[in-house]
Amino acid sequence: MRTSRGSRYRTGVAVVAAALAGTLGAGVVPAQATPASPTAAEPGGAAVTSADVDADVDVDADGDVAARPYMGWTSWSMQSSKYPGLNPDGDYSYLTESNVLKQADALARKLKPYGYEYVNIDAGWWRDFAWKPRFDEYARQTPEPSRFPRGMKAVADDIHAKGLKAGIYLPVGLEKEAYVEGAAPIWNAPDCTTADIVYPDLRTTNGWDSAYKLNFDNPCAQRYIDSQAQMFADWGYDFLKLDGVGPGSFKSGDNYDNIADVAAWQRAIAATGRPIHLELSWSLDINHAADWKRYSNGWRIDTDVECYCNTLVTWENSVDDRFDDAPAWSRWAGPGGWNDLDSLNVGNGVMDGLTNAERQTYTTLWAISKSPLYTGDDLTRLDEYGLSLLTNREVIAVDQNGGPPARPVTPAGDQQVWGTHNPDGSWTIALFNLAEAPAAVTADWASLGFTGKASVRDLWNRKNLGTYQNKITATLPAHGSRLFTVRPGGTELVTTSYEAEAGTNTLSGNASVNGCDACSGGQKVGNLYLGGKVQINGVTVRKAGIYTISVAYVSGDARSVTVYSNDGNGTSLKFPATGDWGTVATVSVQLALKAGVNTVTFDSADWYAPDIDRIDVPRTP
Amino acid sequence: MDFRNTESRDLRPSRRGFLALAATSGLATALGGVPAFAASAAPRRPTESPLLSPGDAARNQLWWSAPGSANSMIEQGLPVGNGRLGALASNDPARELLTISDATLWTGGLNDTLQSDGQFPYGRDDFGSLTLLGTLTVDIPEHDLGVVDNYRRTLDLAQGLVGTTYEIDGVSYRRQIFASRPDDAVVLHFSREGRGTYTGTVSLAGTHGEATTAGGRCASFGASFANGLRYGAAVTAHSSSGTVAIQGNSITFTGCRDLTVVVSGGTNYAPDAGTGFRDPSVEPEHLARAKVLAAARESLRDLLHTHVADFRPLFERFDLDLGTSSPAQRELDTWGRLAARWRDNVPDPELEAAYVQFGRYLTISGSRGSLPMGLQGPWLDGNDPDWMGDYHTDVNIQMSYWLADRAGLSDCFDALADYCVAQLPAWTDVTRRLFNTPTNRFRNSSGRVAGWTVAFSTNPYGGSGWWWHPAGNAWLCQNLFEHYEYVQDRAYLAKIFPLLKGAVEFWETRLVTMTVTDAAGVTREVLVADSDWSPEHGPQDTRGNTYAQELVWNLFENYRTATRLLGRDTGHGETVDGLRRRLYLPEVSPTTGWLQEWMSPDNLGETTHRHLSPLIGLFPGDRIRPDDSTPPEIVAGATALLTARGMNSYGWANAWRSLCWARLKDAEKAYQLLVNNLKPSTNGSNGTAMNLFDIYETNPGRGIFQIDANLGTPAAVVEMLVYSRPDHVELLPALPAAWAASGSVSGVGVRGGFVVDVAWKDGAVTRATLTSVGGRATTVVAGGRSRQVTLRPGESVTLRSFR
Repeated sequence: MRTSRGSRYRTGVAVVAAALAGTLGAGVVPAQATPASPTAAEPGGAAVTSADVDADVDVDADGDVAARPYMGWTSWSMQSSKYPGLNPDGDYSYLTESNVLKQADALARKLKPYGYEYVNIDAGWWRDFAWKPRFDEYARQTPEPSRFPRGMKAVADDIHAKGLKAGIYLPVGLEKEAYVEGAAPIWNAPDCTTADIVYPDLRTTNGWDSAYKLNFDNPCAQRYIDSQAQMFADWGYDFLKLDGVGPGSFKSGDNYDNIADVAAWQRAIAATGRPIHLELSWSLDINHAADWKRYSNGWRIDTDVECYCNTLVTWENSVDDRFDDAPAWSRWAGPGGWNDLDSLNVGNGVMDGLTNAERQTYTTLWAISKSPLYTGDDLTRLDEYGLSLLTNREVIAVDQNGGPPARPVTPAGDQQVWGTHNPDGSWTIALFNLAEAPAAVTADWASLGFTGKASVRDLWNRKNLGTYQNKITATLPAHGSRLFTVRPGGTELVTTSYEAEAGTNTLSGNASVNGCDACSGGQKVGNLYLGGKVQINGVTVRKAGIYTISVAYVSGDARSVTVYSNDGNGTSLKFPATGDWGTVATVSVQLALKAGVNTVTFDSADWYAPDIDRIDVPRTP
Repeated sequence: MDFRNTESRDLRPSRRGFLALAATSGLATALGGVPAFAASAAPRRPTESPLLSPGDAARNQLWWSAPGSANSMIEQGLPVGNGRLGALASNDPARELLTISDATLWTGGLNDTLQSDGQFPYGRDDFGSLTLLGTLTVDIPEHDLGVVDNYRRTLDLAQGLVGTTYEIDGVSYRRQIFASRPDDAVVLHFSREGRGTYTGTVSLAGTHGEATTAGGRCASFGASFANGLRYGAAVTAHSSSGTVAIQGNSITFTGCRDLTVVVSGGTNYAPDAGTGFRDPSVEPEHLARAKVLAAARESLRDLLHTHVADFRPLFERFDLDLGTSSPAQRELDTWGRLAARWRDNVPDPELEAAYVQFGRYLTISGSRGSLPMGLQGPWLDGNDPDWMGDYHTDVNIQMSYWLADRAGLSDCFDALADYCVAQLPAWTDVTRRLFNTPTNRFRNSSGRVAGWTVAFSTNPYGGSGWWWHPAGNAWLCQNLFEHYEYVQDRAYLAKIFPLLKGAVEFWETRLVTMTVTDAAGVTREVLVADSDWSPEHGPQDTRGNTYAQELVWNLFENYRTATRLLGRDTGHGETVDGLRRRLYLPEVSPTTGWLQEWMSPDNLGETTHRHLSPLIGLFPGDRIRPDDSTPPEIVAGATALLTARGMNSYGWANAWRSLCWARLKDAEKAYQLLVNNLKPSTNGSNGTAMNLFDIYETNPGRGIFQIDANLGTPAAVVEMLVYSRPDHVELLPALPAAWAASGSVSGVGVRGGFVVDVAWKDGAVTRATLTSVGGRATTVVAGGRSRQVTLRPGESVTLRSFR
C-alpha cells in the first residue's frame, strides 16, 4: 500500500504498515502455471501455440524463489476500497482471519489449478480497527486479536493446508510506537534495545514518515530485522511485502534510503533458513534498480493501482499509468526478481470499476510485462468474464514463459504495439488502444525485425487467425487490446543503418555528438533540446513509399521528438523511457521516403528530446 | 481544333445512363422541393438497379478501420442526410448509434425585444437554437468489438451510403445506413453471410425529456417546445426471420438473419412568416409513424434503389480528378491518410479530391427542400451547439453556399434562397420597427429607415440575434444574385428581387456624405456607410468601412442589373447606380501598404485577424482583379493585406484565404491553405476530424464543428481550377504543382450561365468543354490565350488548342 493522499487515513494515524514474510511450507509447490497442455483442445490449434510453460515451470523444485513472477491474491485492494460492504468496521477493516481464509479457500478452488498460490496479508494485521498498532515486548508487530484471534501462525497453517503459500507485510523501519522511549529490548540480542537501533535524533523514514530510520552502523539494527524475520519464519510465512521503501515511495534523500534495510532483510531471511520471497513497495527509484534486483525478488514500479474510491480501481487511477512507467524497467525483470505492476483487479467488473475492454487490457499489460499476477478481487464473487481473464492458460503462459518483458515497439501514443521475442522463437505482440474512442492498431512485422508472412494466434479469443503478410491490423474498443502470438514464416528484415553521429549529417542548435558505450559506433547525438535537431542525410531507397524505420535511442525518461522525412511536418512522438542514459532501446516510426536520397530529421522543437543513436531503414517499404 | 457539339449536355453519353434512370425514379419529385415535414405521395420506384458496381463505387468512397465513439460523434460519426433530416452514425458493431437532427427543430422565436444597448438577445430561449431530434440505438451485445475481426466502415459519397462490414467467428456481417429523401426516412439494414444472426434492441430516445412509447410496430415520441413548435419521431423494425417484438418502450429482435430499421421524424415548422412559421395541420409524431410504417412496407431493395436513384444523379453532375495517389497512400484508411498527408507533406491528390467531394456530399445531404445549412448543417451531437448552430451572416452562411453553384449543385442553393424569401417579411418588420432604436449604436444617423437588414445571427423564425449587422443584407444579396449569374433563371431572379430591392432601400436611408481628400490634395464628396463595425474586428463606430462600401457597391450594381433583366424599377435602378458611382472605395494605406479596412491609414485591429472583410471585393466579390481592370496599386494593397493576415488561421478563415489567393493566382499559397485545413485535428485542435468534419479550436482542448470550412475549402479548390465572371472564364488560374501532372474536372458552374469541363496535363489545359445552361457568349481564357465562345442554351463546345 501507499499513501500519497492524507485524506486516506484517519486523523492522527500517520502510518499504515505491515509486513509479510513467507515461509516455504513443507514441500515447495511448483509454480504450476501450466496445467496440462493448454492448447491441445483447441480446434485446429496446431499452427501457433503458446504452451511453452511446462518446460519452464518446475523452477521452484530446487527452492528458487521468484524463478517466475509469483501468482496469488492480496488483501489490500478490498481493504482500500469504499465499495459497499467491504469494510464495515472502518477503513481497511476487511483484513480479518475469516476473510483471508475465505479468499484462500476460493483461490484454492478456482485459481490454484492455474498457478495462483500466494495468499498475501497486507497492512493492518497488527492494528485494530481504529488503526492502533500492537507490538510485542521486543518491539515487533504482533497480531491484533480483533482481526486475527488465533494469531498469524494458525492462519498460515490453514493456508498451507489448502496447498497454498502465505504472505505477510511490514513497513520499513522501526515504527514509532514500537520505540517505547528506546527501552524495548531486541529479541535474541541481549545487549540491544530500541535505542540502539535508531539514530539519536530519531530521524524518520519510509513513505509515510511513520518509522524511525534504522541505523545499521549499530549491529543491533540487523538483530532487530533478524528477530522479525525469525518470527515470520516461525509462523510459517513464505512471502514478505516490505512497504514504504525508499528511495521511492515518493521519498528521496538520505533519511529515506532504505537499501540497507532491504539488504538486512535479505540477510535475515537467509539466516532463518526458510525461503521467503521479499517484495518491495512502492514506486521504487529506478536509479537503484540494481540494488532492488540484488536484494529482493520484486519491486513495485508504480504507485498503488487502487483508486481508494467506490471501486477497487479505475482506469485513470491508476491502471493506465503503467503503460508509461513499465518500459523503463523492462530490462531489470528476470528470474529471481520481477517488475511488480501491482495487483490485478479484473475479476469482477462491477467491483473493479472497469469495462470489459479495460479488464482485458489490464491483464494483457501485466502478462506481457512478466509482472507478478496477484489479484485483489473478491474471489468468492468472480464474474464469468473475470474468471475467463484470470484463467486463460495461454495468457498466463505469456507471463510465466521465462522470456523477457515486452517493450513498446511503437512510440507511446494512444495506440501502441508492444512485443517480445519468446524463448521458442515466436513473438508475443500486444496491441493497445489507450484512447477514449475505438481505434485501429497495426503491428508491422518490420517493427519486430522480420517481414513477409507470419501466422497469428489470438490468445484472448483462443483462435488462430491465419497468416498475415507484413502486418496485422485490429480494431480495438476504447482502452482495448489484442494479444497475439506471432510466428514468423518470412525472412529477416534487411535494413540499412544510418548513424546519427555520422559526419555527413546536419546538427543544429545545441545538438552534439556524445560518447555512448551501448550505442552502435560508440556514439550518439545528444543535447537535443529547445530547437536542437539532427538531420540524417543521405537516406537512400530505391522505391518510394511509407517505410517502417527503426530508431535506436537513449532516453532516461520518456521524451517527445518531432520526426519527419524531407520537408514533412512530422509528428511529435513520445519515445518510451529506456530507464537511464546509458541504455539503448528501439521504436519504429512510419515515414514516407521518396525514391533516391532523403533526409530524416529528429527535432526537439520546444522541449527536450531523446538522444538518437541510429536509424535502420528497410530496403523496401 | 474546335468542334461544335449541338447535343444537349444532359444527353451526352457519359450522363445518359443515370439521367435516364433518374427520369424513371423519384428524382423528379426530389428536385421539386417538398417544403417541410409533410405527407407526400409515394415515390416512384426505379425499375432497374441504380447501384454502382463495387469497383466504380470505390472511387468515391472514404473508409475507416474503426467505428466512431459514442462520446465523439461530432468528430467520428459518419453523416447521412436527406436535406432536412441529418444523422451521425457510430457504426459500432455492438451498438449502432445515430444522433438525429432535423434542420427545423429550433427553439426561440422572433426575438424582437432589444436589449438596453439596442442589440438583440442571443440566448437559447429567446433567439433560440437548433437542437437534436433524438438518438437511435441498435444494441447487439454479442457483437462486442473485442471479438470482431476485419472491421471496416465506408462512406459512399456517390450513392449516399454508410456501410459497415466485420467478421465474427468467420461470419461476415454487413450494415448499410442511408437517409432517403423520397421516402423521408433514415434506413438501417443489417445483413450477414453465414450462420450468424442478430439479437438485440432498437431504442429511440428524445433529447428533451420526451417519453418514448411503443406499440403498433413502432416506438415513437412527440412533444412541443415553449415556442409552440411541435415535433416527433418514430422507428419501426422488421426481419425476414427470427422475432421482432415490442418490449416496453423498445423493439427487440431475436435470432434475425437480417434486420431493417426505419426511423423518421420532423416538426410542424413551415417557412411562412404569415403563419408564424407553423403548419397547424401537421401532427409530427403521427406523421412520423405513418412514414416509417409506409417505408417498412417496401422492400429494402426498393428503399435502397429509390434513395440511390435520387442521390447519385446529383452527385455525378460534378467529377474531379486531381491526379493519382501512391499505393502506400491508398492502403491507408481515411484517418491514416490524413495523418500521413500532414506528417510527410506528400500530396495525396485522391484524398484532396475526395475532400472536395465530401463537401458536395454534405451539401446534397444537408441542403435540399428545407432550411439551409447553418453552422453545423443538420448534424449535431447535443442540444447546445456553439452559436446555436445558427445562420451567421458575416461569412459563414455565405461560405456554406459558395460551393453549390461551382460544383454542380445549384439545386441545393435553393434552400438558402427560399429561406431568405421566407424570412423577408419578418426581417423587414423588425428592421423598420427596431433598427433606429436610439440606443442602437449602428442606427441610421439620417433618422430614416427602410427595407430590411439582419443581425450577425439569424434563426428560422424571422429573428435576429446578437448585434445588428447592417451590411449583412448586402452580403446575403451578393450570394443570392451570384446564384442567378450561374443559373440564368429569370423566375429565380424575380423571386429574390424583393430582397435586393429591400436591401437597396435600406442603404438609401443609411449612406451619408463625406468629403475626402485624395493624395493629390483634391477634395471630393463621397457616399459612405454610417457608423459600423468591420465584422468582429477593430473599432465599432467607424464610417465608410471597406466591408460595407464594397458590399453596397456590389448590391447597387446587381440591383441595377436585375431591374434591367426583369424590366422592373428600371428608373430606380439607374438612380441607385448613380449612388454606386458616388460610393467611396477603399484606398491603400501609405503606412502599411495594405488595402485599408477602415478610412484610416492605421492598422486599427489585429494583423492576423480571421476575417478578411476588407478583401470582400477580391472574394467573393470581383471588383478587385489581378488584371488591367484594377489599378495595380489596389491589387498590390490587397495582396499585401492578405499576406499580412497570414497562412495560419483555421477552418473557414483558411478557406477564405485560399479563395483569395486563388483569385490572385498564387496557386501554391491557395493549395497550402487547403493542406492546412487537412491537418488532422487531435484533442480539438484546428483541422480535420476523423469523419472529415472541420474542427475549430475555440479553447485549448475544445474543438467544435463548423461546416463552413468543409464547404468553403472545396469551393477554393474549384476556384483554383476555374475562375469565372459574366463574360469571362479562366481555366486553371491557380493550378498547384501537386495536381499539375494530369487531371480533370467536369460540371463546374460558370457565372454567365455555363458549365465547363476541363482536362489538363503537365499544367496545361488539354481539353475544355463549355456548355450553356442559359448563357450566350463568353470569353474562355487558358494558358494566356483567350477564345470567344457563343452558344445557345443547351449547346456545348469543346476547345482543344490552348497549348
